[in-house]
Amino acid sequence: MGLLLLVTFYITGRGLGASGAAKSTVVATINKVAPEHAQESTYYSKFISDDNHPLNQWLVFEVIGILAGALLSGALSNRLKFKVEHSPKITSGRRLVFAALGGLAFGIGSQFGRGCTSGAALSGMASLALGGFIAMLSIFGSAYVFAYFFRKNWI
Amino acid sequence: MKEELFISGRDIPNIDPFLHIWHWQIPIYLFLGGLAAGILFFASLFTIIGKEKDMPATVKWGPFFVPGALVLGLFMLFLDLKHQMFFWRLYMTIRMDSPMSWGAWVLMFITPLSFLWVASYLKDLIPDWNWKYKWIEGFLEWFRNSRTPIAWLMMGLAVVLGIYTGILLSAFNARPLWNNAILGPLFMVSGMSTGVATVMWISKSHYERKILGQIDILLIVIELFFITHMFMGMRAGSEVMIQAADLFLGGQFTVSFWVFVVILGLIFPAILEALELRGYKVPIAIPALLILIGGLVFRFVMVEAGQITRYLY
Repeated sequence: MGLLLLVTFYITGRGLGASGAAKSTVVATINKVAPEHAQESTYYSKFISDDNHPLNQWLVFEVIGILAGALLSGALSNRLKFKVEHSPKITSGRRLVFAALGGLAFGIGSQFGRGCTSGAALSGMASLALGGFIAMLSIFGSAYVFAYFFRKNWI
Repeated sequence: MKEELFISGRDIPNIDPFLHIWHWQIPIYLFLGGLAAGILFFASLFTIIGKEKDMPATVKWGPFFVPGALVLGLFMLFLDLKHQMFFWRLYMTIRMDSPMSWGAWVLMFITPLSFLWVASYLKDLIPDWNWKYKWIEGFLEWFRNSRTPIAWLMMGLAVVLGIYTGILLSAFNARPLWNNAILGPLFMVSGMSTGVATVMWISKSHYERKILGQIDILLIVIELFFITHMFMGMRAGSEVMIQAADLFLGGQFTVSFWVFVVILGLIFPAILEALELRGYKVPIAIPALLILIGGLVFRFVMVEAGQITRYLY
């Protein structure tokens, strides 16, 4: 991860990220479906400008690249098939519901924290930003605390 | 409007010709036309070389998409017409120097032919099918018996249709991006590639998929060569040509073209197909879908970008 980050800084001049791509997708969708609402909202309007499409962001392309690369890596190791990995004690449905809820909560949280594990914590810490260290401690600290309540889903 | 106050002709509203007149219907039609041409070309080719048994999806099942694609595509063309009630006038004349005339006539022949091709294989798909009338049975019997000469005809028409989808654009000398001779072959190869991708997707035979995968990789390589050649030609051209190419080499279409057409629509699916040929398990739907989306984006980008380029600067 560290080496990847170093190479990313070297090639692109900026860090990695993931939640930003999801955010851009949401902004672009809202802006298409309800442009007035998007432009009035303090949050969405920050990411909308006339001379740049909300999806024209490096993070969006980075995530497309991640999908393509993951597909290639899966094909090369012959692991390309549809399956849901979960603890034998729970059903696939339960796993999917909890994964979606967790992802949703993390997505909202990453917007409050202005970045996710890759964007705020890893890239932030790599540039020695104080916020990066706080984000990393908060993400892993709260994960530690909440894991206790949801552990039955795995063990 | 006070004409005496105009200081230059360019200030007069609409004095510059209004070139942005083709909308979303045209790229969809070009895509469907190319797809149909690709499927029919390989259906005829494998019929002619006597491989119907080995390539059932290519010869029999793939063409089932064609009548629908052509009818939908023609409907798209009709939607884009300004004077829709006069479309029939295309069939009152034959103009050798007009690509639209060529296209209209080729579609007039290839569309019914594709219906007949599908009809002649309908009993293979639905064994209980009953044509009700004896003369239809008799006609289709004759069609089946003379399939090879008909396949030759259909292959020729498919090539004309595939090239025509590109020449329709390249014949406009007012739009520098389109006005190059490589566009016809480029659209034909791209259409063939989307056709092969479709057939590959529905094929259940391992042997057939292998052959089609090899053909598709070859088509993609040719397409990449044509694309490189097109931009090299433009860069070596006049100033308007250079400006047209610059839309793709740093301009506003750079990302949509290079990321979604070249990388995700050509190179990446070619790598996946190559992996599959080497024995790795790749769900065929993924490269097929990427090629189809790439082909569609390619036509949208070309139609959109071409209408921005012009001689009046």
